[in-house]
Amino acid sequence: MSIAQLRHSTFFRYFGVYVFLLVLSAFVLFPLVIAVSQSFMTNQEVNRWPPRVIPVEPTIESYRLVLTQQDVRLDLWLRNSVVAATGYTIAVLLICSPAAYAFARLNFPGNKPLFAFLLATIMIPGQVTLIPNYLLMRDLKWLDTFNALIFPGAANVFGVFLLRQFFMQVPRELEEAAVLDGAGYFGRFWHVILPLSTNALTALGIFVFLGHFNDLFWPIIVTSSLQTRTLPVGLSIIQSSYAGQYRPMILAGAVLSTLPVLIVYSIFQRRIIQGVTLTGMGGR
Amino acid sequence: MSAIMERFTGSGRFSLPVSLKTREAIAAYTFLAPFLIFFAIFFVRATIASVEMSFYDWRLLRPTRPYIGLQNYLELFDDPIWWSSVVHTLYFTAMTVVGTSVVGLAAALAVTRPIHGRGFFRVLLYIPQLMSVGAVGLIWNWLWSGQFGVINYLLSFFGVRPINWLGEPDLVLPVLSFTTIWWTFGFPMLIYIAGIQGIPEHLYEAARIDGASGWQSFRYITLPLLRPTILFVTVTGVIGHFQVFGQPYIITGGGGPGRSSWTVIIYLYQQAWVAFRMGFGAAVAVVIAIIMAIITTFQFKIISRPVEY
Repeated sequence: MSIAQLRHSTFFRYFGVYVFLLVLSAFVLFPLVIAVSQSFMTNQEVNRWPPRVIPVEPTIESYRLVLTQQDVRLDLWLRNSVVAATGYTIAVLLICSPAAYAFARLNFPGNKPLFAFLLATIMIPGQVTLIPNYLLMRDLKWLDTFNALIFPGAANVFGVFLLRQFFMQVPRELEEAAVLDGAGYFGRFWHVILPLSTNALTALGIFVFLGHFNDLFWPIIVTSSLQTRTLPVGLSIIQSSYAGQYRPMILAGAVLSTLPVLIVYSIFQRRIIQGVTLTGMGGR
Repeated sequence: MSAIMERFTGSGRFSLPVSLKTREAIAAYTFLAPFLIFFAIFFVRATIASVEMSFYDWRLLRPTRPYIGLQNYLELFDDPIWWSSVVHTLYFTAMTVVGTSVVGLAAALAVTRPIHGRGFFRVLLYIPQLMSVGAVGLIWNWLWSGQFGVINYLLSFFGVRPINWLGEPDLVLPVLSFTTIWWTFGFPMLIYIAGIQGIPEHLYEAARIDGASGWQSFRYITLPLLRPTILFVTVTGVIGHFQVFGQPYIITGGGGPGRSSWTVIIYLYQQAWVAFRMGFGAAVAVVIAIIMAIITTFQFKIISRPVEY
């Protein structure tokens, strides 16, 4: 390759871009590498100056500890988070998609004003509902149950808004064909609109799931026992009770709790990346 | 076929045009019912109840709940801890929104160049965004450690003496902001990528023919055309980061040192779920909602202004 060819190759032309991307990638990966690496150290090896990046004698002691403590139940918390987030996602999709269909396709008195009202409520942040909803959970005896994690946020205005946009793009002719075949309103919604909107439903589902899975505030206030804690709440408890005792254990907890998300991400990365711009949601 | 025609033209046995309309309305409200019921209970009722509660001295562990008018609000406006929490939150939000926006835009510009591996970099750079604040907090609390922290170790190569990052009241908010930028710049990045890809290629070609430099095409084509995207990222960023809770809750042990990383949501949490003052907490929530509504309205005003070139 001559100098002239080299100059015109993309690598040479975008050399600065590559350097920038490598620096940024190092910035992103550095904390994760340190967490993984130091989680294989003993407490003595972590608490030294200068810090070590590579363990001299790698050990899985911290993983054994974090999985066997009486008050640390990562497996249970992970299960709780998955169950609660799945329940919440199903509830959101079941509640929001018929509402979105009504707004998108049906003529009824109050369609426009009701939709405008819902949009306006997006301006009112959810914090204002926290205390009354917490007291309602207490009165319903729902505190420390999955019900409290699933139902209060299920009427997701943003979900209705998003799905309405997608339902409106489904060609009307397809619905009219279904009408000629004798389909009622439910039949059109179920057999025509929903199957043609799987992309939107999946994307909304993924981000509703991730947002719930990673939420911290609401689970902190409505769960109190070891058995119903979710993963983020559990991690915050490990931090406050074990940080001073055995640091590698904390890092092992962070690593173990991030692994499932990374596995799911590696499978669905394309859908997730595309879904962000499709929905305008980020996963929290 | 004729039966169907009859139903639509209304020449059948019933006067169908009217009942068809009614039937559609009934169907519509049946579809809406689950949503409206949940929305009425958990949003409308709760919002009204919150405003009402804010006029009472309602404590969780006391049977009487006397009406006290605006006392909760007056006490809140008189509380220096509240005002410092507001200042902390605004400071944190400003730093974090600017930081995520700048890093996100730079990353988006880099991965939209026609280079090998750009898809790979997109996927890689989005990883932190998918982590829970729990895992992020556990890892960064250790990285920032003043005694054995790796960040101090890295800085020692540049001759910086060890800094007690999480123990210095003046440093703790920038530290939390830096951590949050690492955690959340991926979302703006992807939104900017979509925005950049929406800019017609022929504009850049025309600029190149006119002899524009790379910087000039960025300044006079990319940046103005990205304005709606920048505003979207800013609005969602302000709303999201103003509600910061998990980072101070986990990384600085609930808002320390002292109260130097108390944010408005930490303040709300402390009043309602540590001191069990539900009425006062409701007043705090109402004021937080009003502040956010004002900020959002202000930003929407800017958004709805026509784009100038």
